[in-house]
Amino acid sequence: MGKPTGFKEYSRETYRERDPLVRLGDWSEFAEPLPVDHLQKQGARCMDCGIPFCHTGDLLAGMAAGCPVHNLIPEWNDLVYQDDWKTALDRLHKTNNFPEFTGRVCPAPCEGSCTLGISEPPVAIKTIEKAIIDRGFKEGWVTPQPPKSRTGKKVAVVGSGPAGLAAAAQLNQAGHDVTIYERADRPGGLLMYGIPNMKLEKEKVVQRRLELLEAEGVKFICNTEIGKDIHAKELMERFDAVVLAVGSTVPNDFFAKTPGRDLRGIHFAMEFLTKNTKSLLDSQHEDRGYISAKGKNILVIGGGDTGTDCIGTSLRHGCKGVVNFEIVPQPPAARPANNPWPQWPKIYRQDYGHVEAAAKFDYEHVPGKTLPDDPREYSIQTTEFLGDESGNLIGMKTVCVDWSRPIPGGAPFTVVEGSEKTWPGELCFLALGFRGPEQIIAEQLGVDRDPRSNFKAEYGKYATNINGVFAAGDCRRGQSLVVWAINEGREAARECDRYLMGKTNLP
Amino acid sequence: MLETGEAREVHHFCLLTGFGADAISPYLAFDAIRDAKDHGHLKENYSEEKIVATYREGIAKGMLKVMGKMGISTLQSYKGAQIFEALGLSPEVIDRCFAGTASRIRGVNFEILAQELLLRHEQGFPSRTETKRLPVLPNNGLVHWRHGGEKHGWNPFTIAEIQQAARAGDKNAYRRFATLINEGEQRQGTLRGLMKFRPGNSIPLEEVEPASEIVRRFTTGAMSYGSISAEAHESIAIAMNTIGGKSNTGEGGENYERFADNRRSAIKQVASGRFGVTSWYLTNADELQIKIAQGAKPGEGGELPGHKVDKIIAATRHSTPGVGLISPPPHHDIYSIEDLAQLIFDLKNSNPSARVSVKLVSEVGVGTIAAGVAKGHADKILISGDGGGTGASPLTSIKHAGLPWELGISETHQTLVKNDLRSRVRLETDGQLRTGRDMVIACLLGAEEFGFATAPLITMGCIMMRKCHLNTCPVGIATQDPVLRAKFTGQPEHVINYLFMVAEDAREIMAQLGFRSIDEMVGRADMLDWNRETQHWKAKLLDLSMVLTRASSKYPNAGTFCTRAQNHGLEETLDQSYLLKECRHSIETGERITLDVDIQNIDRAFGTTLSHEVSKKWGPQGLPEDTIRLRCRGSAGQSVGAWAVKGVTIEVIGDANDYVGKGLSGGKIIVYPPDGSTFTPRDNIILGNVALYGATEGEAYFRGMAAERFCVRNSGAKAVVEGVGDHGLEYMTGGRVVVLGDTGRNFAAGMSGGIAYVYAPDKAVFNMNCNHELVDLDPVEHVDDVAELKELLEKHHIYTGSTLAREMLDNWDEELGKFIKVMPRDYKRAMAELQAEEAAAAAGESAPENVLAH
Repeated sequence: MGKPTGFKEYSRETYRERDPLVRLGDWSEFAEPLPVDHLQKQGARCMDCGIPFCHTGDLLAGMAAGCPVHNLIPEWNDLVYQDDWKTALDRLHKTNNFPEFTGRVCPAPCEGSCTLGISEPPVAIKTIEKAIIDRGFKEGWVTPQPPKSRTGKKVAVVGSGPAGLAAAAQLNQAGHDVTIYERADRPGGLLMYGIPNMKLEKEKVVQRRLELLEAEGVKFICNTEIGKDIHAKELMERFDAVVLAVGSTVPNDFFAKTPGRDLRGIHFAMEFLTKNTKSLLDSQHEDRGYISAKGKNILVIGGGDTGTDCIGTSLRHGCKGVVNFEIVPQPPAARPANNPWPQWPKIYRQDYGHVEAAAKFDYEHVPGKTLPDDPREYSIQTTEFLGDESGNLIGMKTVCVDWSRPIPGGAPFTVVEGSEKTWPGELCFLALGFRGPEQIIAEQLGVDRDPRSNFKAEYGKYATNINGVFAAGDCRRGQSLVVWAINEGREAARECDRYLMGKTNLP
Repeated sequence: MLETGEAREVHHFCLLTGFGADAISPYLAFDAIRDAKDHGHLKENYSEEKIVATYREGIAKGMLKVMGKMGISTLQSYKGAQIFEALGLSPEVIDRCFAGTASRIRGVNFEILAQELLLRHEQGFPSRTETKRLPVLPNNGLVHWRHGGEKHGWNPFTIAEIQQAARAGDKNAYRRFATLINEGEQRQGTLRGLMKFRPGNSIPLEEVEPASEIVRRFTTGAMSYGSISAEAHESIAIAMNTIGGKSNTGEGGENYERFADNRRSAIKQVASGRFGVTSWYLTNADELQIKIAQGAKPGEGGELPGHKVDKIIAATRHSTPGVGLISPPPHHDIYSIEDLAQLIFDLKNSNPSARVSVKLVSEVGVGTIAAGVAKGHADKILISGDGGGTGASPLTSIKHAGLPWELGISETHQTLVKNDLRSRVRLETDGQLRTGRDMVIACLLGAEEFGFATAPLITMGCIMMRKCHLNTCPVGIATQDPVLRAKFTGQPEHVINYLFMVAEDAREIMAQLGFRSIDEMVGRADMLDWNRETQHWKAKLLDLSMVLTRASSKYPNAGTFCTRAQNHGLEETLDQSYLLKECRHSIETGERITLDVDIQNIDRAFGTTLSHEVSKKWGPQGLPEDTIRLRCRGSAGQSVGAWAVKGVTIEVIGDANDYVGKGLSGGKIIVYPPDGSTFTPRDNIILGNVALYGATEGEAYFRGMAAERFCVRNSGAKAVVEGVGDHGLEYMTGGRVVVLGDTGRNFAAGMSGGIAYVYAPDKAVFNMNCNHELVDLDPVEHVDDVAELKELLEKHHIYTGSTLAREMLDNWDEELGKFIKVMPRDYKRAMAELQAEEAAAAAGESAPENVLAH
């Protein structure tokens, strides 16, 4: 801890965001770096706790408390304060293969359990993480680090999302020949096509890391779907071990039986986001290969990060309006008593898409809207999709729900009588989360599944019931954060290495 | 001579020296510093020589501190002294390497040691060479918790659960907390973690004594006001007073305002620093605790850095604001078990209704010491384990000092039962007790009271920052910064909730084991067994049989818990047999009285209980000066006038033993030779050692020399004496002392407050005797100083008939120049600041007038 009294002297400052109305005109990242002296002060706010809760990374009350990859946060906060960025980068890379991803997309459970957060705004950990790795790239400190020698063992990693990439990076470091199979045309999984460019730039950030991995010796095979193009059993024959990191990709559809669900204009969020990024990268949208929100009223159902990404993307298309529907109640502004520190604080926050929508549209005068400066509506449920004669979506109907009055033995809420509303909309995106992984690989290999259809493997062990087959990330734990995927990928690599070699030095 | 890459910490050097090394070359430590330099981690440009010199200096200071803890002054005495106890080493290793060293529970052999070494080597030089080594080694979390590092009982999970349990009264959270502590991996870090209960004849839970009775046996740790904030300290006191347990002042005294309500701490601690130990303080106690040592850092006491000593704390401790306070390692009035018995007696006289307890630490042989303490008439003995202590203890102490209470309490209990002393004393233990299981094991091993410290702090919001020494505690506990104190959100209810959950937890175990009351359970070590199922690979050679032996199996007729009171012999004192009766009317009404008393050297603690009665009636201000005058003839016994209060004047015409005016609290003590004595007072000792130790207020005039350690830790009394032995005025923080003759060596060592005027016609001699580390020697020039000195001399002449004082006064102009003013530099600074502040305040008040004038 460079400065014992730093937390008393400096206030929290996170990385800056470009003006919402300006950034809506492009697809570049909305985040802008802080000057170095500001970052040092943010580092000085760290108190170097005897017990750094930020670095804990385990579940409390079902949510991550602290960093799931156990980033050495107090160490690098101090190093940043001391202006020793190179050592800070070493410390950061020690626990996290891809800090440039988490520094941009992580909700930062570390900050949720920062001890300073008990009584003050927490240390700007995510901002510092991003600054360290961005500086590292800028200075040319991040270079390919191929292993010194090879073990002669071959490992296949199925899926190139954060879990697959982390597993591959670690296994490659241990000297194994690693091949990643990806069914899309570009590797990266959700990092490439799930998260939009303004949050995580594809060419400058994702591609940069993929090229590093390639230079270190990891082989990428795209446009190849295991289970379809190559039988999973064949993969097992060709490789000494297989790590499954195929993600959780079967979307939830709570509206399958809702009237009007078949209307044209209702899409799963991931279809909208994937096509948008692909068209952007392929042709700067010249090929028109995406679902355009331009000039349309957009209805987004689901208030999570994906919903936000749909809002931000629609706004950049030039939509006419956008409203976001969330069935749960609006969270409180501050922690309620049943959500104490160091649990993840379930509080009301505005993400980038909400800020942009509020800047663009006057929600105070949108009929039916109750929140005047936010695209979201809470405690609201869709009851019907409305269409015109030719089967195109023109809007939807909703009712309000009351969570304080659950129905005994039934729904956890009651519908508020007389609360029906109608919303105009020509496009609707369903951002309702994912049910689990696609099953074909598991079926071909005979991998056991848990009751939620995830691949069955114990956390910390990652071995499935099939010898030499490991599972990591969302396909094992269910949909979750990028940082959990990195954590699982790293640890699965450790177990896989132990399986191959009898012992391991991987963390 | 030893060349080794292993030695790096202070403890390593101590151990090597302690087992006989003459010289050590820690080449790897030097290499590590060079490497840090080469990588630009050192701010300054360190030369090769400076790297070695700086590291050596650091290690030497650390070793000096450790030697201080052990009471050893010279390296020669420390070298080869082998004052260590091993915890977890097999006889094979001990016999070969550390012959004669105690290793009570056996443990690892060379094979396991080698295995551990290889594990460490693997971190630096992995056998898998494909893996590119990252340029940073792991942080093993030895002190600060780290994921995957050393196990710590307090970690994010246990803290989150106990806080939830205490704040919301959430029993499920307590259950999860207790499971983590009792069954989690960290159980392998304690001896109790290696134990399990034997099956008993279980009884219905309703038959077990209620939790409300059990919590009355709970105490909280001796954390001083000063080390922790008033808010935190008072919340603990309120909690313990509410449930009938006992909170502890710690060694920093207690603000008098708290005595009137439930913020009063039932246990008043008396430690080596004697901070704020006055008659009124002692009077307001249910228990007086003599702290011999702290479990987590034996040999050390509180260390309060200057920035935590604000005005109120300084006032409570009778010290100087802004000046750091270090408790001296020893009590200056205890150098033997007899001295301790004397202090117990003195304290018992200072408040006969309070129990006197003695806090010892777990170590080999503590049973023998405890037997001595029991024979010295302590009412209670506390065995403190190594687990506790502040987050700010020195690292050598956190890691390498102290031993588990499991060893200490079982040895103590067994020894006391064996000598049939157990029924005379209560036994308490502490040191990271956290759950009902911990408490029950402590009881089965011999404790009937139980201390909790860290856990209550954590329920009130402590998050183990380990920044207690920096004054930056962000939850307002271990800080005096008003901004940070405002962040304190702890409530007495949090502590109460938690302690009741512990008691209920214990009751459930008691029901399982078949115990209806704590008394039945004390010392039933036969109900414990070693848990071999959860054995760590390094624990397989441990042997706990020594701990798990039931003491009363061999001595069936000896009592196993406290059933009778000690015989303190109070009724035989002059106070009880004579003074109280004669002075009753004066105490009640304040009417003046003068008594003539014949005194002998068996009359100890003369005037102490009388002063206690005055305190009880009149509070801290006492009575008007000289209300009760006691004119004694003869040789006064030890501790004459101990904690004598204002209004009590004790005149001894004759001489006095050790501890004259110990803790003087406003009273006046005058000692002079009888008429017709033939010796020269200034050349002859008229009173024993350690006079005025820990005095806070009052006056003392001694016509003659005092022996050694005069006025040690005086914080407010004025004294005139005609000569002193060695170590005069050590650690003094306030008051005035005039020495009209020779001083011994080491005068004014560690003195941080108050002023001494020393008559030193030969300044060179005094220069040599004085310890100059903290004090300046100035001429007595300032008009206030001159007046003060003169007044004290005049009084000395009037009270004692000192011809020496008379001669000096008669020849004042010439003699004044031979006086030296001894003043601590810190005290000078604090006085200057105070004056500047007063001046500023005065200027502030007059400012409006100036504005008008313009």
